[in-house]
Amino acid sequence: MDVRIGEGFERLIDGLKERFDPLFHAVADGLTAAIRGLEGLLLLAPSHVLIALIALASWRLSGVGSAVLCALGLELIDAMGLWRATMETLALVLSSACVSLLLGIPLGILASYNRWLARGLRPLLDSMQTMPAFVYLIPAVLFFRLGKVPGVVATVIFAMPPAVRLTQLGIQQVPRDVVEAAIAFGSTPRQLLWHVQLPIALPTLLAGVNQTLMLSLSMVVISAMIGAGGLGEQVLKGITQLRIGLGFESGIAVVILAIVLDRLTHALGQPRSRPT
Amino acid sequence: MNRHTPALWLALAASMLLGTGCKKDPAPEAQQAQAPAKTLKLVYVNWAEGVAMTHLAKAILEDRMGYQVELTMADVAPVFTSLAEGDSDAFLDAWLPLTHKEYMERFQGKVEDLGTNYEGARIGLVVPAYVKASSIQDLAAMKKELDGQIVGIDSGAGIMSTTEKALAAYKLDFRLMTSSGPAMAASLQDAIKRERPVVVTGWKPHWKFARWDLKFLEDPQGIYGSAESIHTLTRPGLEKDKPEVARFLRAFKLDDQQLGELMGVVAEAKGDPSQAVREWMTRHAALVDGWLPRS
Repeated sequence: MDVRIGEGFERLIDGLKERFDPLFHAVADGLTAAIRGLEGLLLLAPSHVLIALIALASWRLSGVGSAVLCALGLELIDAMGLWRATMETLALVLSSACVSLLLGIPLGILASYNRWLARGLRPLLDSMQTMPAFVYLIPAVLFFRLGKVPGVVATVIFAMPPAVRLTQLGIQQVPRDVVEAAIAFGSTPRQLLWHVQLPIALPTLLAGVNQTLMLSLSMVVISAMIGAGGLGEQVLKGITQLRIGLGFESGIAVVILAIVLDRLTHALGQPRSRPT
Repeated sequence: MNRHTPALWLALAASMLLGTGCKKDPAPEAQQAQAPAKTLKLVYVNWAEGVAMTHLAKAILEDRMGYQVELTMADVAPVFTSLAEGDSDAFLDAWLPLTHKEYMERFQGKVEDLGTNYEGARIGLVVPAYVKASSIQDLAAMKKELDGQIVGIDSGAGIMSTTEKALAAYKLDFRLMTSSGPAMAASLQDAIKRERPVVVTGWKPHWKFARWDLKFLEDPQGIYGSAESIHTLTRPGLEKDKPEVARFLRAFKLDDQQLGELMGVVAEAKGDPSQAVREWMTRHAALVDGWLPRS
Protein backbone atom coordinates (compact mmCIF):
# COMPACT_ATOMS: atom_id res chain seq x y z
CA MET A 1 0.00 0.00 0.00
CA ASP A 2 1.74 3.13 -1.18
CA VAL A 3 -0.23 6.29 -0.67
CA ARG A 4 1.13 9.50 -2.12
CA ILE A 5 -0.89 12.49 -1.02
CA GLY A 6 2.04 14.78 -1.83
CA GLU A 7 1.49 14.47 -5.58
CA GLY A 8 -2.13 15.45 -5.12
CA PHE A 9 -1.00 18.51 -3.18
CA GLU A 10 1.39 19.46 -5.98
CA ARG A 11 -1.37 19.11 -8.57
CA LEU A 12 -3.68 21.19 -6.37
CA ILE A 13 -1.08 23.97 -6.14
CA ASP A 14 -0.48 23.96 -9.91
CA GLY A 15 -4.23 23.97 -10.59
CA LEU A 16 -4.86 26.85 -8.20
CA LYS A 17 -2.02 28.81 -9.75
CA GLU A 18 -3.35 28.36 -13.27
CA ARG A 19 -6.93 29.15 -12.40
CA PHE A 20 -6.54 32.05 -9.97
CA ASP A 21 -3.32 33.70 -11.05
CA PRO A 22 -4.91 37.12 -11.80
CA LEU A 23 -6.70 37.08 -8.44
CA PHE A 24 -3.49 36.23 -6.57
CA HIS A 25 -1.65 38.99 -8.38
CA ALA A 26 -4.38 41.50 -7.56
CA VAL A 27 -4.23 40.50 -3.89
CA ALA A 28 -0.44 40.73 -4.00
CA ASP A 29 -0.52 44.20 -5.55
CA GLY A 30 -3.11 45.49 -3.07
CA LEU A 31 -1.25 44.10 -0.07
CA THR A 32 2.09 45.41 -1.33
CA ALA A 33 0.59 48.89 -1.69
CA ALA A 34 -0.86 48.70 1.82
CA ILE A 35 2.38 47.51 3.43
CA ARG A 36 4.48 50.06 1.54
CA GLY A 37 2.03 52.77 2.56
CA LEU A 38 2.21 51.77 6.20
CA GLU A 39 6.01 51.67 5.99
CA GLY A 40 6.05 55.16 4.50
CA LEU A 41 3.76 56.36 7.25
CA LEU A 42 6.00 54.93 9.99
CA LEU A 43 9.13 56.40 8.43
CA LEU A 44 7.47 59.76 7.71
CA ALA A 45 8.16 61.26 11.13
CA PRO A 46 11.70 61.41 12.56
CA SER A 47 12.34 58.44 14.85
CA HIS A 48 12.33 60.50 18.07
CA VAL A 49 8.89 61.92 17.28
CA LEU A 50 7.42 58.48 16.70
CA ILE A 51 9.08 57.17 19.86
CA ALA A 52 7.54 60.05 21.83
CA LEU A 53 4.10 59.22 20.40
CA ILE A 54 4.42 55.53 21.26
CA ALA A 55 5.65 56.36 24.75
CA LEU A 56 2.68 58.72 25.21
CA ALA A 57 0.26 56.01 24.13
CA SER A 58 1.78 53.46 26.49
CA TRP A 59 1.69 56.00 29.34
CA ARG A 60 -2.04 56.59 28.78
CA LEU A 61 -2.69 52.87 28.46
CA SER A 62 -0.47 51.29 31.05
CA GLY A 63 1.35 53.84 33.13
CA VAL A 64 4.68 55.55 33.54
CA GLY A 65 6.82 52.43 33.91
CA SER A 66 5.76 51.05 30.53
CA ALA A 67 6.24 54.41 28.86
CA VAL A 68 9.83 54.67 30.08
CA LEU A 69 10.56 51.06 29.07
CA CYS A 70 9.13 51.56 25.56
CA ALA A 71 10.97 54.84 25.04
CA LEU A 72 14.31 53.44 26.21
CA GLY A 73 13.95 50.27 24.16
CA LEU A 74 13.03 52.11 20.96
CA GLU A 75 15.83 54.65 21.46
CA LEU A 76 18.25 51.72 21.78
CA ILE A 77 17.03 50.33 18.44
CA ASP A 78 17.54 53.76 16.89
CA ALA A 79 21.01 54.03 18.40
CA MET A 80 21.95 50.60 16.99
CA GLY A 81 21.07 51.86 13.51
CA LEU A 82 18.21 49.41 13.09
CA TRP A 83 15.34 51.91 12.94
CA ARG A 84 14.49 51.42 9.27
CA ALA A 85 14.64 47.62 9.48
CA THR A 86 12.49 47.73 12.63
CA MET A 87 9.85 49.90 10.97
CA GLU A 88 9.81 47.54 7.95
CA THR A 89 9.20 44.65 10.33
CA LEU A 90 6.58 46.62 12.27
CA ALA A 91 4.71 47.38 9.03
CA LEU A 92 4.84 43.70 8.11
CA VAL A 93 3.69 42.56 11.54
CA LEU A 94 0.86 45.11 11.74
CA SER A 95 -0.35 44.21 8.25
CA SER A 96 -0.25 40.49 9.06
CA ALA A 97 -2.01 40.98 12.37
CA CYS A 98 -4.59 43.20 10.71
CA VAL A 99 -5.39 40.56 8.04
CA SER A 100 -5.44 37.86 10.74
CA LEU A 101 -7.92 39.82 12.86
CA LEU A 102 -10.14 40.85 9.95
CA LEU A 103 -10.48 37.16 9.08
CA GLY A 104 -10.13 35.63 12.52
CA ILE A 105 -12.55 37.65 14.68
CA PRO A 106 -15.61 37.21 12.40
CA LEU A 107 -14.75 33.51 12.06
CA GLY A 108 -14.54 33.22 15.83
CA ILE A 109 -17.94 34.91 16.26
CA LEU A 110 -19.51 32.59 13.69
CA ALA A 111 -17.90 29.55 15.33
CA SER A 112 -19.31 30.57 18.72
CA TYR A 113 -22.84 30.45 17.24
CA ASN A 114 -22.45 27.32 15.15
CA ARG A 115 -21.19 24.14 16.74
CA TRP A 116 -20.60 22.37 13.41
CA LEU A 117 -18.50 25.20 12.07
CA ALA A 118 -16.52 25.17 15.32
CA ARG A 119 -15.92 21.42 14.94
CA GLY A 120 -14.87 21.77 11.33
CA LEU A 121 -12.51 24.63 12.12
CA ARG A 122 -10.62 22.86 14.88
CA PRO A 123 -8.49 20.49 12.78
CA LEU A 124 -7.88 23.30 10.28
CA LEU A 125 -6.69 25.68 13.01
CA ASP A 126 -4.56 22.92 14.52
CA SER A 127 -2.83 22.24 11.23
CA MET A 128 -2.31 25.96 10.56
CA GLN A 129 -0.47 26.24 13.86
CA THR A 130 1.60 23.07 13.56
CA MET A 131 2.42 22.60 9.85
CA PRO A 132 6.11 23.54 9.53
CA ALA A 133 6.20 26.92 7.81
CA PHE A 134 8.82 25.82 5.26
CA VAL A 135 6.21 23.54 3.68
CA TYR A 136 4.04 26.42 2.51
CA LEU A 137 6.78 28.97 1.80
CA ILE A 138 7.34 27.87 -1.80
CA PRO A 139 3.62 27.72 -2.69
CA ALA A 140 3.31 31.20 -1.14
CA VAL A 141 6.10 32.45 -3.41
CA LEU A 142 4.46 30.77 -6.43
CA PHE A 143 1.16 32.50 -5.75
CA PHE A 144 2.26 35.89 -4.47
CA ARG A 145 5.77 36.47 -5.87
CA LEU A 146 8.86 37.03 -3.82
CA GLY A 147 8.72 39.83 -1.26
CA LYS A 148 6.56 41.06 1.56
CA VAL A 149 3.26 39.53 0.51
CA PRO A 150 4.16 35.83 0.80
CA GLY A 151 5.69 36.80 4.14
CA VAL A 152 2.35 38.23 5.26
CA VAL A 153 0.50 35.17 3.96
CA ALA A 154 2.80 32.76 5.78
CA THR A 155 2.50 34.87 8.94
CA VAL A 156 -1.30 34.95 8.76
CA ILE A 157 -1.45 31.17 8.45
CA PHE A 158 0.59 30.88 11.63
CA ALA A 159 -0.82 33.80 13.64
CA MET A 160 -4.56 33.71 12.87
CA PRO A 161 -5.68 30.65 14.92
CA PRO A 162 -5.48 32.30 18.37
CA ALA A 163 -7.64 35.19 17.14
CA VAL A 164 -10.34 32.70 16.08
CA ARG A 165 -10.03 30.53 19.18
CA LEU A 166 -10.01 33.29 21.77
CA THR A 167 -12.89 35.16 20.12
CA GLN A 168 -14.98 32.00 20.16
CA LEU A 169 -13.98 31.24 23.75
CA GLY A 170 -14.71 34.78 24.93
CA ILE A 171 -18.24 34.75 23.53
CA GLN A 172 -18.97 31.26 24.80
CA GLN A 173 -17.88 32.30 28.28
CA VAL A 174 -20.48 35.05 28.56
CA PRO A 175 -22.71 33.92 31.45
CA ARG A 176 -25.91 32.29 30.21
CA ASP A 177 -28.12 34.25 32.63
CA VAL A 178 -26.80 37.54 31.26
CA VAL A 179 -27.65 36.47 27.72
CA GLU A 180 -31.10 35.29 28.82
CA ALA A 181 -31.73 38.55 30.64
CA ALA A 182 -30.80 40.55 27.56
CA ILE A 183 -33.14 38.48 25.41
CA ALA A 184 -35.89 38.84 28.03
CA PHE A 185 -35.53 42.62 27.83
CA GLY A 186 -36.13 42.32 24.11
CA SER A 187 -32.68 42.85 22.60
CA THR A 188 -32.25 41.83 18.98
CA PRO A 189 -29.47 39.35 18.10
CA ARG A 190 -27.38 42.23 16.80
CA GLN A 191 -27.83 44.22 20.03
CA LEU A 192 -27.03 41.08 22.00
CA LEU A 193 -23.74 40.67 20.14
CA TRP A 194 -22.64 44.32 20.16
CA HIS A 195 -23.88 45.44 23.58
CA VAL A 196 -23.69 42.29 25.67
CA GLN A 197 -21.52 39.52 24.31
CA LEU A 198 -18.64 41.47 22.73
CA PRO A 199 -18.12 43.87 25.68
CA ILE A 200 -18.06 41.00 28.16
CA ALA A 201 -15.83 38.91 25.88
CA LEU A 202 -13.50 41.85 25.20
CA PRO A 203 -10.66 40.95 27.59
CA THR A 204 -10.43 37.44 26.10
CA LEU A 205 -10.73 38.86 22.59
CA LEU A 206 -7.90 41.30 23.22
CA ALA A 207 -5.79 38.46 24.59
CA GLY A 208 -6.30 36.96 21.13
CA VAL A 209 -5.15 40.19 19.47
CA ASN A 210 -2.10 40.16 21.68
CA GLN A 211 -1.30 36.51 20.88
CA THR A 212 -1.70 37.16 17.16
CA LEU A 213 0.80 40.02 17.32
CA MET A 214 3.31 37.96 19.30
CA LEU A 215 3.06 35.01 16.90
CA SER A 216 3.43 37.37 13.93
CA LEU A 217 6.73 38.53 15.39
CA SER A 218 8.00 34.99 15.66
CA MET A 219 7.72 34.64 11.87
CA VAL A 220 10.02 37.54 10.95
CA VAL A 221 13.10 35.42 10.23
CA ILE A 222 11.22 32.79 8.23
CA SER A 223 9.54 35.56 6.21
CA ALA A 224 12.97 36.98 5.41
CA MET A 225 13.80 33.73 3.62
CA ILE A 226 11.20 34.68 1.01
CA GLY A 227 12.29 38.26 0.60
CA ALA A 228 10.30 40.08 3.29
CA GLY A 229 13.34 42.08 4.47
CA GLY A 230 13.29 43.99 7.76
CA LEU A 231 14.84 42.75 10.99
CA GLY A 232 14.55 39.12 9.89
CA GLU A 233 16.96 39.83 7.04
CA GLN A 234 19.41 41.41 9.49
CA VAL A 235 19.19 38.35 11.72
CA LEU A 236 19.87 36.06 8.73
CA LYS A 237 22.81 38.22 7.64
CA GLY A 238 24.27 38.05 11.09
CA ILE A 239 23.81 34.32 11.44
CA THR A 240 24.95 33.12 8.01
CA GLN A 241 28.23 34.97 8.27
CA LEU A 242 28.81 34.11 11.91
CA ARG A 243 28.55 37.75 12.90
CA ILE A 244 27.09 36.87 16.26
CA GLY A 245 27.00 40.54 17.28
CA LEU A 246 24.83 41.66 14.36
CA GLY A 247 22.51 38.68 14.83
CA PHE A 248 22.17 39.50 18.52
CA GLU A 249 21.46 43.20 17.95
CA SER A 250 18.71 42.43 15.43
CA GLY A 251 17.33 39.75 17.72
CA ILE A 252 17.19 42.22 20.62
CA ALA A 253 15.37 44.68 18.36
CA VAL A 254 12.72 42.01 17.70
CA VAL A 255 12.36 41.46 21.44
CA ILE A 256 11.99 45.20 22.13
CA LEU A 257 9.35 45.47 19.42
CA ALA A 258 7.53 42.56 21.02
CA ILE A 259 7.63 44.20 24.46
CA VAL A 260 6.27 47.47 23.07
CA LEU A 261 3.42 45.78 21.19
CA ASP A 262 2.67 43.56 24.17
CA ARG A 263 2.42 46.52 26.56
CA LEU A 264 0.16 48.43 24.21
CA THR A 265 -2.25 45.59 23.44
CA HIS A 266 -2.21 43.94 26.83
CA ALA A 267 -3.24 47.17 28.51
CA LEU A 268 -6.25 47.56 26.20
CA GLY A 269 -7.95 44.57 27.77
CA GLN A 270 -7.57 45.74 31.31
CA PRO A 271 -9.39 48.98 32.03
CA ARG A 272 -7.55 50.86 34.71
CA SER A 273 -8.10 54.09 36.54
CA ARG A 274 -6.96 57.06 34.50
CA PRO A 275 -3.31 57.86 35.15
CA THR A 276 -2.78 61.21 36.78
CA MET B 1 -23.51 51.26 30.65
CA ASN B 2 -20.52 49.11 31.62
CA ARG B 3 -16.85 49.49 32.38
CA HIS B 4 -15.66 48.01 29.15
CA THR B 5 -17.25 50.45 26.78
CA PRO B 6 -14.33 52.91 26.50
CA ALA B 7 -11.87 50.11 25.91
CA LEU B 8 -14.17 48.55 23.34
CA TRP B 9 -14.40 51.80 21.43
CA LEU B 10 -10.67 52.20 21.57
CA ALA B 11 -10.13 48.73 20.20
CA LEU B 12 -12.68 49.35 17.48
CA ALA B 13 -11.09 52.64 16.57
CA ALA B 14 -7.71 50.98 16.39
CA SER B 15 -8.99 48.20 14.20
CA MET B 16 -10.78 50.70 11.95
CA LEU B 17 -7.54 52.62 11.61
CA LEU B 18 -5.62 49.47 10.78
CA GLY B 19 -8.44 48.35 8.53
CA THR B 20 -8.36 51.51 6.45
CA GLY B 21 -4.61 51.15 6.28
CA CYS B 22 -5.08 47.69 4.85
CA LYS B 23 -7.70 48.59 2.28
CA LYS B 24 -5.71 51.10 0.32
CA ASP B 25 -6.44 51.68 -3.31
CA PRO B 26 -4.21 49.28 -5.24
CA ALA B 27 -4.25 51.44 -8.36
CA PRO B 28 -0.79 53.03 -8.09
CA GLU B 29 0.79 49.64 -7.47
CA ALA B 30 -1.05 48.15 -10.44
CA GLN B 31 0.52 50.78 -12.66
CA GLN B 32 3.88 50.00 -11.18
CA ALA B 33 3.44 46.36 -12.12
CA GLN B 34 3.83 47.36 -15.76
CA ALA B 35 7.11 48.93 -14.77
CA PRO B 36 8.88 51.40 -17.03
CA ALA B 37 11.71 49.90 -19.06
CA LYS B 38 14.40 51.22 -16.75
CA THR B 39 13.80 49.16 -13.62
CA LEU B 40 15.38 45.84 -12.74
CA LYS B 41 14.82 43.30 -9.99
CA LEU B 42 17.85 41.37 -8.79
CA VAL B 43 17.48 38.52 -6.32
CA TYR B 44 20.24 37.11 -4.20
CA VAL B 45 20.85 34.55 -1.49
CA ASN B 46 22.72 35.59 1.62
CA TRP B 47 26.06 34.13 0.49
CA ALA B 48 29.08 36.38 0.74
CA GLU B 49 30.14 36.25 -2.93
CA GLY B 50 26.55 36.79 -4.11
CA VAL B 51 25.98 39.71 -1.74
CA ALA B 52 29.18 41.35 -3.04
CA MET B 53 28.54 40.74 -6.76
CA THR B 54 24.87 41.66 -6.60
CA HIS B 55 25.52 44.97 -4.84
CA LEU B 56 28.28 45.74 -7.35
CA ALA B 57 25.99 45.00 -10.31
CA LYS B 58 23.30 47.19 -8.73
CA ALA B 59 25.71 50.11 -8.35
CA ILE B 60 26.89 49.82 -11.97
CA LEU B 61 23.35 49.52 -13.35
CA GLU B 62 22.29 52.56 -11.34
CA ASP B 63 25.30 54.86 -11.80
CA ARG B 64 26.36 53.94 -15.32
CA MET B 65 23.21 52.66 -17.07
CA GLY B 66 20.45 54.70 -15.41
CA TYR B 67 18.41 51.81 -14.06
CA GLN B 68 16.46 51.67 -10.82
CA VAL B 69 17.45 48.37 -9.22
CA GLU B 70 15.45 46.62 -6.54
CA LEU B 71 17.27 43.96 -4.50
CA THR B 72 15.49 41.11 -2.76
CA MET B 73 17.16 38.61 -0.49
CA ALA B 74 15.69 35.14 -0.12
CA ASP B 75 16.59 31.51 0.31
CA VAL B 76 17.82 29.60 -2.74
CA ALA B 77 14.64 27.65 -3.60
CA PRO B 78 12.42 30.76 -3.53
CA VAL B 79 15.02 32.56 -5.69
CA PHE B 80 14.81 29.93 -8.43
CA THR B 81 11.02 29.84 -8.15
CA SER B 82 10.81 33.60 -8.52
CA LEU B 83 13.06 33.62 -11.63
CA ALA B 84 11.07 30.82 -13.25
CA GLU B 85 7.84 32.72 -12.54
CA GLY B 86 9.32 35.79 -14.22
CA ASP B 87 8.87 37.92 -11.10
CA SER B 88 12.58 38.64 -10.74
CA ASP B 89 15.01 39.50 -13.52
CA ALA B 90 18.38 38.01 -12.59
CA PHE B 91 20.35 35.98 -10.06
CA LEU B 92 24.15 36.19 -10.09
CA ASP B 93 25.09 33.34 -7.81
CA ALA B 94 24.19 29.96 -9.34
CA TRP B 95 26.86 27.29 -8.86
CA LEU B 96 27.12 24.94 -11.82
CA PRO B 97 27.46 22.23 -13.01
CA LEU B 98 27.08 20.60 -9.61
CA THR B 99 25.86 22.50 -6.56
CA HIS B 100 22.60 23.77 -8.05
CA LYS B 101 22.17 20.94 -10.55
CA GLU B 102 18.89 19.83 -8.96
CA TYR B 103 17.37 23.29 -9.29
CA MET B 104 18.51 23.60 -12.91
CA GLU B 105 16.88 20.27 -13.75
CA ARG B 106 13.70 21.19 -11.90
CA PHE B 107 13.40 24.55 -13.67
CA GLN B 108 14.73 23.45 -17.06
CA GLY B 109 13.63 25.87 -19.77
CA LYS B 110 12.23 28.27 -17.17
CA VAL B 111 15.49 30.04 -16.35
CA GLU B 112 18.12 31.23 -18.81
CA ASP B 113 21.83 30.82 -18.23
CA LEU B 114 23.90 33.81 -19.42
CA GLY B 115 27.16 32.01 -18.71
CA THR B 116 29.78 32.38 -16.02
CA ASN B 117 30.71 35.42 -13.98
CA TYR B 118 33.45 33.65 -12.00
CA GLU B 119 35.41 30.53 -12.90
CA GLY B 120 37.42 28.25 -10.69
CA ALA B 121 35.06 27.92 -7.79
CA ARG B 122 35.90 24.76 -5.94
CA ILE B 123 33.96 22.38 -3.70
CA GLY B 124 35.20 19.50 -1.62
CA LEU B 125 36.12 18.44 1.88
CA VAL B 126 37.88 21.14 3.89
CA VAL B 127 40.00 20.82 7.04
CA PRO B 128 41.98 23.32 9.14
CA ALA B 129 45.63 23.55 8.02
CA TYR B 130 46.90 21.84 11.19
CA VAL B 131 45.08 18.58 10.38
CA LYS B 132 47.58 15.95 9.22
CA ALA B 133 45.42 14.46 6.49
CA SER B 134 46.16 15.72 3.00
CA SER B 135 43.84 13.53 0.96
CA ILE B 136 40.32 12.17 1.43
CA GLN B 137 41.58 8.61 1.78
CA ASP B 138 43.68 9.64 4.82
CA LEU B 139 40.45 10.18 6.77
CA ALA B 140 39.92 6.45 7.31
CA ALA B 141 42.80 6.37 9.81
CA MET B 142 41.41 9.40 11.69
CA LYS B 143 37.90 8.10 12.24
CA LYS B 144 38.22 8.10 16.04
CA GLU B 145 39.51 11.66 16.41
CA LEU B 146 36.78 12.88 14.09
CA ASP B 147 33.97 10.97 15.88
CA GLY B 148 33.29 9.37 12.51
CA GLN B 149 31.46 12.43 11.22
CA ILE B 150 31.71 15.05 8.52
CA VAL B 151 29.86 18.32 9.08
CA GLY B 152 27.67 19.15 6.09
CA ILE B 153 25.27 21.94 5.12
CA ASP B 154 21.63 22.07 3.91
CA SER B 155 20.27 18.73 2.74
CA GLY B 156 19.29 20.08 -0.71
CA ALA B 157 22.77 21.26 -1.68
CA GLY B 158 24.60 19.40 -4.46
CA ILE B 159 27.72 19.17 -2.32
CA MET B 160 25.82 16.87 0.07
CA SER B 161 24.89 14.21 -2.49
CA THR B 162 28.39 14.43 -3.96
CA THR B 163 29.90 13.91 -0.52
CA GLU B 164 27.74 10.80 -0.05
CA LYS B 165 29.17 9.53 -3.36
CA ALA B 166 32.70 10.33 -2.16
CA LEU B 167 32.15 8.44 1.12
CA ALA B 168 31.08 5.38 -0.88
CA ALA B 169 33.91 5.70 -3.43
CA TYR B 170 36.63 6.02 -0.79
CA LYS B 171 34.92 3.36 1.37
CA LEU B 172 34.79 5.66 4.38
CA ASP B 173 32.54 4.65 7.27
CA PHE B 174 31.59 8.23 8.18
CA ARG B 175 28.25 9.91 8.85
CA LEU B 176 27.51 13.08 6.90
CA MET B 177 25.69 15.43 9.26
CA THR B 178 23.01 17.60 7.67
CA SER B 179 23.12 21.10 9.13
CA SER B 180 23.33 24.51 7.49
CA GLY B 181 26.00 26.91 6.22
CA PRO B 182 26.17 28.87 9.50
CA ALA B 183 26.20 25.73 11.64
CA MET B 184 29.03 24.29 9.52
CA ALA B 185 31.04 27.51 9.94
CA ALA B 186 30.33 27.54 13.67
CA SER B 187 31.61 23.99 14.18
CA LEU B 188 34.70 24.90 12.16
CA GLN B 189 35.29 27.93 14.39
CA ASP B 190 34.77 25.85 17.52
CA ALA B 191 37.20 23.15 16.41
CA ILE B 192 39.86 25.71 15.43
CA LYS B 193 39.55 27.44 18.82
CA ARG B 194 40.21 24.11 20.54
CA GLU B 195 42.73 22.93 17.89
CA ARG B 196 40.71 19.77 17.31
CA PRO B 197 40.50 18.04 13.95
CA VAL B 198 37.29 18.59 11.98
CA VAL B 199 36.12 17.89 8.41
CA VAL B 200 33.48 20.05 6.74
CA THR B 201 31.94 20.23 3.29
CA GLY B 202 33.47 23.45 1.94
CA TRP B 203 33.57 25.64 -1.11
CA LYS B 204 35.56 28.57 -2.41
CA PRO B 205 35.06 31.56 -2.79
CA HIS B 206 33.90 31.78 0.82
CA TRP B 207 34.79 34.09 3.68
CA LYS B 208 35.98 31.17 5.82
CA PHE B 209 39.20 31.02 3.80
CA ALA B 210 39.91 34.66 4.63
CA ARG B 211 39.25 34.12 8.33
CA TRP B 212 41.10 30.87 9.00
CA ASP B 213 44.00 28.87 7.57
CA LEU B 214 42.21 26.01 5.80
CA LYS B 215 42.95 23.49 3.06
CA PHE B 216 41.02 21.28 0.67
CA LEU B 217 41.65 17.55 0.96
CA GLU B 218 42.93 16.10 -2.30
CA ASP B 219 40.42 14.08 -4.26
CA PRO B 220 42.48 11.63 -6.37
CA GLN B 221 39.35 9.93 -7.73
CA GLY B 222 37.94 13.26 -8.91
CA ILE B 223 34.52 12.72 -7.30
CA TYR B 224 34.06 16.46 -6.70
CA GLY B 225 34.94 17.30 -10.29
CA SER B 226 37.74 19.67 -11.11
CA ALA B 227 36.07 22.99 -10.45
CA GLU B 228 32.74 24.73 -10.48
CA SER B 229 31.77 28.06 -11.92
CA ILE B 230 29.35 30.71 -10.75
CA HIS B 231 26.74 31.51 -13.38
CA THR B 232 24.38 34.42 -14.01
CA LEU B 233 20.78 33.26 -14.48
CA THR B 234 17.87 35.35 -15.73
CA ARG B 235 14.15 34.95 -16.11
CA PRO B 236 13.10 33.73 -19.54
CA GLY B 237 12.87 36.61 -22.03
CA LEU B 238 15.12 39.17 -20.32
CA GLU B 239 17.48 39.09 -23.28
CA LYS B 240 14.62 40.06 -25.60
CA ASP B 241 13.07 42.90 -23.62
CA LYS B 242 16.18 44.32 -21.92
CA PRO B 243 19.02 43.48 -24.32
CA GLU B 244 21.48 46.01 -22.88
CA VAL B 245 21.09 44.55 -19.40
CA ALA B 246 21.67 41.05 -20.75
CA ARG B 247 24.76 42.28 -22.64
CA PHE B 248 26.13 43.83 -19.46
CA LEU B 249 25.42 40.70 -17.40
CA ARG B 250 27.15 38.52 -20.02
CA ALA B 251 30.22 40.76 -19.88
CA PHE B 252 30.24 40.96 -16.05
CA LYS B 253 33.07 38.62 -15.01
CA LEU B 254 35.46 38.65 -12.06
CA ASP B 255 38.66 36.73 -11.47
CA ASP B 256 39.85 35.26 -8.21
CA GLN B 257 41.75 38.32 -7.08
CA GLN B 258 39.05 40.86 -8.06
CA LEU B 259 36.27 38.90 -6.36
CA GLY B 260 38.43 38.30 -3.28
CA GLU B 261 39.07 42.04 -2.93
CA LEU B 262 35.40 42.88 -3.54
CA MET B 263 34.25 40.38 -0.90
CA GLY B 264 36.82 41.84 1.46
CA VAL B 265 35.54 45.42 1.19
CA VAL B 266 31.91 44.27 1.47
CA ALA B 267 32.71 42.23 4.58
CA GLU B 268 34.39 45.26 6.15
CA ALA B 269 31.45 47.54 5.40
CA LYS B 270 29.40 46.70 8.47
CA GLY B 271 26.01 47.82 7.23
CA ASP B 272 24.96 48.68 3.70
CA PRO B 273 27.68 47.74 1.19
CA SER B 274 26.63 50.27 -1.50
CA GLN B 275 29.33 52.77 -0.50
CA ALA B 276 32.05 50.12 -0.39
CA VAL B 277 31.24 48.70 -3.85
CA ARG B 278 31.25 52.21 -5.34
CA GLU B 279 34.76 52.79 -4.00
CA TRP B 280 35.78 49.47 -5.52
CA MET B 281 34.27 50.65 -8.84
CA THR B 282 36.42 53.78 -8.93
CA ARG B 283 39.53 51.70 -8.23
CA HIS B 284 38.68 49.31 -11.09
CA ALA B 285 37.27 51.88 -13.54
CA ALA B 286 38.84 50.25 -16.62
CA LEU B 287 37.42 46.83 -15.79
CA VAL B 288 33.94 48.29 -15.17
CA ASP B 289 34.07 50.30 -18.43
CA GLY B 290 34.85 47.09 -20.30
CA TRP B 291 31.60 45.52 -19.02
CA LEU B 292 29.36 48.32 -20.25
CA PRO B 293 27.54 47.65 -23.51
CA ARG B 294 28.75 49.90 -26.35
CA SER B 295 25.71 51.62 -27.75
